[in-house]
Parts: sequence; C-alpha cells; structure tokens
Amino acid sequence: MASWEEVKRLAADFQKVQLSSTTQRLSERNCIEIVSWLIDRKLIDLIFTSDGKEYMTSSQLVQDILGELYIRGGRVNYVELSKTIAVDLNHIINHIPEVTHGRKDIYSILGQLIDTSYIIKIAGEINQKLIQQGQINIGDLTIQYDLPADFLQRNVVEKYLGKLIHGEQDKNDSKIFFTESFISRSRAKIKGALTALTKPTVVSVILNQIDVTDKLFFSLFDQLSMYGVLTGRTHSSLYVPSVYSRSQNEWVKNFYKQNGYLEFDALIRLGITDYKVYLKKHFANENVVTLKSCILSFQLVERIEADVEECINSKSFVDLQGSLPNLLDDEDVKIIIDKVVTVQRQRNVVILDNFVISKSFIDILAKNCEGFVQDKAKEIVQSGKYQQHLTELQVKTTKLHKVDVEEDVKVDKREERRKKASSGKSGGGAQGRETKTKSTKKHARTKNLQDDDDDYSEKSEKRAVLEIITIEDIKKLVGDKVEEEGLSEIVENIANYLLPVLNEIGLQAAAKLYATTVADQTASRRHTHNDVQNKVNALLGDVRLFEKGLKCFPLDVQTHLYKYLLKSICLDIVNEILNYVASEKGLNVEANKLTNEQRNKFVNDLTPDYKNILQNLLKTLSNHNIEEFTDAVEVCLTECSMILKKIDKKKDKLVVSNHKQALLEQLDKCDDSALTLHLASLIIFITVTQNMLHASGRHVSSILIYLKQYLSADQYLELSSYHDLVTLMLSGGSEAENAKDLLRERMTTVKKIANEFKKLSSEKS
Amino acid sequence: MVDEGTRKTLSGIPLLQTKAGPRDKELWIQRLKEEYQSLIKYVQNNKEADNDWFRLESNKEGTRWFGKCWYIHELLKYEFEIDFDIPVTYPHTAPEIALPELDGKTAKMYRGGKICLSDHFKPLWARNVPKFGLSHAMALGLGPWLAVEIPDLISKGIITYKEKEPEKTT
Repeated sequence: MASWEEVKRLAADFQKVQLSSTTQRLSERNCIEIVSWLIDRKLIDLIFTSDGKEYMTSSQLVQDILGELYIRGGRVNYVELSKTIAVDLNHIINHIPEVTHGRKDIYSILGQLIDTSYIIKIAGEINQKLIQQGQINIGDLTIQYDLPADFLQRNVVEKYLGKLIHGEQDKNDSKIFFTESFISRSRAKIKGALTALTKPTVVSVILNQIDVTDKLFFSLFDQLSMYGVLTGRTHSSLYVPSVYSRSQNEWVKNFYKQNGYLEFDALIRLGITDYKVYLKKHFANENVVTLKSCILSFQLVERIEADVEECINSKSFVDLQGSLPNLLDDEDVKIIIDKVVTVQRQRNVVILDNFVISKSFIDILAKNCEGFVQDKAKEIVQSGKYQQHLTELQVKTTKLHKVDVEEDVKVDKREERRKKASSGKSGGGAQGRETKTKSTKKHARTKNLQDDDDDYSEKSEKRAVLEIITIEDIKKLVGDKVEEEGLSEIVENIANYLLPVLNEIGLQAAAKLYATTVADQTASRRHTHNDVQNKVNALLGDVRLFEKGLKCFPLDVQTHLYKYLLKSICLDIVNEILNYVASEKGLNVEANKLTNEQRNKFVNDLTPDYKNILQNLLKTLSNHNIEEFTDAVEVCLTECSMILKKIDKKKDKLVVSNHKQALLEQLDKCDDSALTLHLASLIIFITVTQNMLHASGRHVSSILIYLKQYLSADQYLELSSYHDLVTLMLSGGSEAENAKDLLRERMTTVKKIANEFKKLSSEKS
Repeated sequence: MVDEGTRKTLSGIPLLQTKAGPRDKELWIQRLKEEYQSLIKYVQNNKEADNDWFRLESNKEGTRWFGKCWYIHELLKYEFEIDFDIPVTYPHTAPEIALPELDGKTAKMYRGGKICLSDHFKPLWARNVPKFGLSHAMALGLGPWLAVEIPDLISKGIITYKEKEPEKTT
C-alpha cells in the first residue's frame, strides 16, 4: 500500500516544514526578554504584578486603585489593594501620592485610602448614633471606626457638624459632642437630683445615681448652681444643697440667738468642719468672744460681768458654771473669768474654781473663824509653842530675821486696820444699805491689804509656818455657813484659801499676845539679872574667903577641901550662870537639876559664843584650882554683861562674922548630933583663924586635929570623944543606939564648948 | 516523571501504529511514513510554539538519520550535529541519538557521542512500543538532555559560543 514514493514525498514535506515554518511569531519568552530589555534601558516604565507575569503602567495602577477604592465604598487598605490588584505593596505605597495628588476628597490615613463618600457615610452613622445615645465621644468613635481621633475630629465630625451631624460640641471638651435633647435631659436629671438632695452628698454618689458623666455634670452644674454649692471639682467633692446650708445657718443663728453661745463641736456635728472660717464669715459683725470650745456672745459675757458686779455688791458669790453654758470646760471658764474680772474687780473678788466669791463674803467666813483663831493663838503662846517657833526662826539666818521684823511692823498695821474695818462693819446692823456702801469702800482697802498679804505669804513660805489652824478646823467652822449658801462643793477650796489668811491672823494674834507677855518678862528679867550678878558676886566672895581658910590645913587635906568647895559653891555659881543663859535664850532649863552630862550637852547646844566659854568653865570645875575657876567665871560674866565687883577686904571681916553668926544660930537650932559637931568645929575654926571654912562632915576629924593646938585638953577630949561617938553612930551597928543617947546628952556640952570657945578666943585676942 | 512542558509537547505528537523495523520491507515503509508524519507534526507544533530546535533528515531507506540541533542559552545559540542509526530491533529498541561533537566532553554520554538518556526514558519507551517513534525520542530524550547538559557545559567553559551561520532569524 505504501511506497517509497510516498516516503520520499513525506521526507520532502518534512524538510519543507522544517525549513519554511520558522514563523515571525514572538514567543512569550522573547516578549519577556524584550520587555525586560526595554525596562533595563529605561525606555518604558512598567510595574510587575506580584506573580511577575504581567506588567502594568503607573497610570493603570492609579486607575486601578481609584477603581478599587470606589468598589470598596470609599475606604480601602493598602494591603488589600496590593492583594486585589496583585501588585507589590511597595508599588501601591509609591503610587499613593499620585492617587491623592490633586484630589482633596481622598485621604491617605493609617495605610488606608479614604474618600469623601466614606466620610459622608460615617458622618451619617455618627449622627444616627448621636441621636440614639445623645452624646458621643471621639474616643469611642476611634475604637469603632479604627481611625485616628484627630482625623475623626477634624475631617469627619467637625466638618459635618451642623450639616450631617446635628449636635453640639462640648465647650469644655472638644472631643465630646451631644445633642440638644441630651443636654436638656441631663440637665433635668441633675436638676432633679440636686433639688431632691437635702444633705451634703459626695458628687460621685450623685453621678452614680443619675448616670451622668462627671464632666457633663460639672459643666451643667454651673448653669444650675442656684440649688447649692459644690466644694470642689472632683469626684470626691461635696455638693452642699443651699437648702441644707440655709437650714444649717438658720439653726446656727437660732441657737446662737437663743443661747448666746455656739459650740464648735455642734458645728462639726452639723458638718461644718472648717468652723473657724464659717464663724468668721457668719459672725463677722457679731460681737463674740472666742473660747477654746465655743464662741460666746458678748451679751452673755456682759451678763456674767453683771453677775460678778452683783456678787460684789451683794457680798455674796456667783457660780459662773451656773450662768454659763454647761459645756464650757475649766479652761474656757478661766478665759471668761480673766475677761470679766478686771483688775479693779479683782480686788473685790476671790476666784475659786468656777466660783467668783466676793471678798466680803470670804471676810464674813473668816470672821466666823476669828474667835477660834484667837483662842488657838492664845493657847499656842501659852503652851510655849510660839516661843519655840520664834526661837527656831531666830536660829535661822539674820537676814531672814530682818525680814521678819519688817513684816511684823506691817502685820501690826494690818491688824489695826482689820480691827477698824471689822468694827465698821459690825456697827449699824439696821441700816443695811449704809453698811453695804461702807463695806464696798472697805473692800478697796482690804484689797491693798490683800496685796500686802500676798507678798507676805510669799515670804512666809520661806520660813517655817507655824500652823495655828488646820484645814479641817476651817472646814468645820465654815462648813455650816457655806452649806447654807449651797457652796458645799467648794468648801475645800474656800478652806484652802482661808487657811493662810486665818493662819496669819492667828500668828499676829499670837505675836501680840507674846509681845505683851514678853514685856512683863523683860522687866523681871532685868531684875533677875541684877540678882544673879549679886548672888554670883557674893558667892565668889565666899569662895575667896573659904579658900583663905582652907589654906590653914595641910596639903593633903587641902585638896579634899578644894574638891568639895568646887563641887558645892562653885557648882552653884555655874548653875546660876547657866540658868541665866538659859533664860536669856528662852530655854526652860533648871541647871540645879542637871547632871554633869546634861550640863555638857546643854552647853554644847548653845550658840558658839556661849558654848566655848561655858565649856571652859565646866572644865575648871573638875580641876582643883580655884583661881582658874574664878578666871573662867569672870569671862562668863562679862559675856553675860555682868560686872564682877572688886574685892573689898574691909568687908571680909564683916562677912566672916556674919557667917559665924549664921553658923551659931544654926547651931542653936540644931538637933542633929552629927551636924552639931560639924557646926561646932566650923565655928571654933572661924574663931581660931578668923577665916571661914567650907567643909563637909567628913572633914570634921581633920578640922579637930587642926584645932587641937588651940583647944584646952578637956575641950579637945570632949570633942574627940563626941566625934568618935558620931562616927560610931553613923557606922551603924549594935552600939549606934547607945551612941545616939550619949550624943544627945553631950550635945549641949559641945554647943557650950562652941559658944564658950568663942568667948575664950575673943578674950584671947 | 516528565515535566509539564514535556508532557504537553508529547501530547501534541501523533502516536504511531505500525510495529515494524527496517528489516520488514513493506511494513517498514509504512512505519517510516508514520515516522515522517509524526515528525512533521512535531516540527509544526514546535514552530508554532516558537520552539524549533532541530533539523533532521534521513537516508533513502530511513535507517540513518542526521541533522543538527541547537540550544539557546543567554541569547546565544549553540548548535550541535546529530547523527544516529535506526537499530535493527527498532522499534523495540530506542534509537541511540549521538552528538559526536560533544564526545568525551561530558560524563552523560556513551562512546561515540551517544547521549546517556535518563533512567526513565527506556522503560517509558519499552512501555510505549510501537506507539513511540523518532519524534518522541527527540522530545523525551534529546530535548531534556540538552536542557540539562548544555548550560552546565557552557558554565564549565567546555562549550564556547561559535559565531556562525546567519541562518538564525529573529
């Protein structure tokens, strides 16, 4: 069927096909090559699509973008554009300026293209929303439309405000728009809330209740402010309704009008925390007194003043606590008292606690006590306590002493005045009015005294106060009267006040009493002074004479006699001096009864000037030297301002004979056998030596031995046997009774010997 | 196994029916006729697609084929001689196309310049006997081989561009 011819033909066809048919058609590849070559040469400007298989020109792209924008309803995203046009995002972004160039209705915002149609659309929407909600915030719109607030504000809302969007811009916040109806609705709400409120309320609470934003509230509030006041512009500030503040003011005013005072606490309770400013505002014209816890009307103060005046005039007292509002504390009362009680008035009143007590009232009370005080004073003076008190005072420094003296003078004056005053007051009981005027006059005077008193009491604090009257006493004395007046609650205070006054009165009374007694005493004291002087002088003379006599004896006997002399007569002298010193000092001491130690102690307690010399004197007592003693006595006497008389030897004889005469008289009367012998021996001694002798019975034997030479044998025998009997009797034992009888028998003979011996010796001489 | 382009090209080439080799007198003619028709169609397709890439002619008996093929790389056209025989066992055995110029220049080649076809080609061919002919061998064998090897060889500098023949037209 097939032949080679056919094959040949086909081969030829094949060749023909191969040679001929290279057509002029450009393949795709060539096209790409050509285009890319052209682009390389910058001969054409083309944009590759994102798959790289297509090109487009810039104008086509711009056209496409516009078309897409239209299709998408006026708002399109660049990314969306690049997807739908299938062009790289870069190209889109590069061509956006071309798109928007010369087109005021197209905006490029946040990677989006937006044209006017879209804006008009959303303006319509916003308007709808505004109508629905009444109020629109750009911020909310921003979220809803995902557009910047600025853009929305400027290009959408503000641009179409009044055209498409029917509403108003908030003047305070340009980002808020609202409709007229919304405003009036809110206003009505706020109005309702504010008028309904009767007490201060926190703004946030109001806002929660009426569901209005704070900004709106504050802006609208200004238009409605006639209902009350805001304390601030924050959430936490208070709204104070004017009805509230009005009633508050009324309450405050009424309270003040009625009561004359206004308590700060009450204001705080009413919610006026800043009461100072409040009071300043509302009571600027009122005449008020500001205290710690309240203010007080001037009328009230005047009333109190009148009360005080009245109290002064009526000689009674006034309880400020009663006439003041009872909420005042003590400090406030004190302030008022300071205000009311002027210096002038102060003279006439005494202020105790909250009581203002007229001075005269106090004086009446004091008078009640005066009798008691006088009694007490007398008692004290008599018991010597006052004396003691004075000496205690004297012991203290002389400076103080001086002050005391001055004060004493003052006190005396005062006392006189007081007497006058009391007499004035006590007279004329019938004419009450007269007494009143008198008493007021007197008040002025007593005021001065009071001042003196104050000074005085200040000083007297320094020294030991002698309590003449105790608080209890005063309370007891005053209590009845005070209770009668209904002042029992301040009895303590009154008593405290009266105590120093009465005490002073008592002291003065005591001083006076003491002065009179002391006047008596000084006279007698002068007397005693002389006595003592004479006595001491006499004694000293005796001592001198005795000493002379005792020198007749041998030495061993002399010492005994010295001792005895010192212990008897010298001790008497010392006691005399001590007694005198003690009385000088106002001390009550009986030196005679003192033992040695007591004496020493007494001397040690004295002031140093006395102490030293008296100590010396006491020391000489224990020595056996009469001269030393006399020297010491001399010193003491000069200290006691006494004169030691000169030794008058002419008188010696007289003294000796007097002494002898006295002894003889004693002997005559004497019944005691031992004493008879003693006296007899002494008398004989005097007649023999013309000297006095001071010896005890113990020395009788040595006297007899001395006298032996002067006596006749029988006389001596008689005396010595008598002496033996006396010693026998004194020794006691079985023969004592016998000896007594014998002695009694022989007593007369002994007496005779003494008497006769005198005669004998006188004959001799 | 074959890329999209190749598959498309392949579909445009008419399949053959006659199963005959050069030794089958009458049938071979028939076969040859079909081969030519197939080739013509293929070339026509190529030309239409502006993808003409070879020239081919045979001897009188159609047992030996020769011609040239070219590959355009970076706007330069590289031309190579083609030369091959129809095997005796054709169409059971695929023809071994040879590019004698490149003999020894690449590893993907047998001695004498026979190109070393992909592993897929032979089973593909075997499955499609007798439907595949020379045009298929060109499209599935030489075409892909050139596309792979020539750029490689050029980049290695083994093949250089030779200024030649004004035959190419733009």
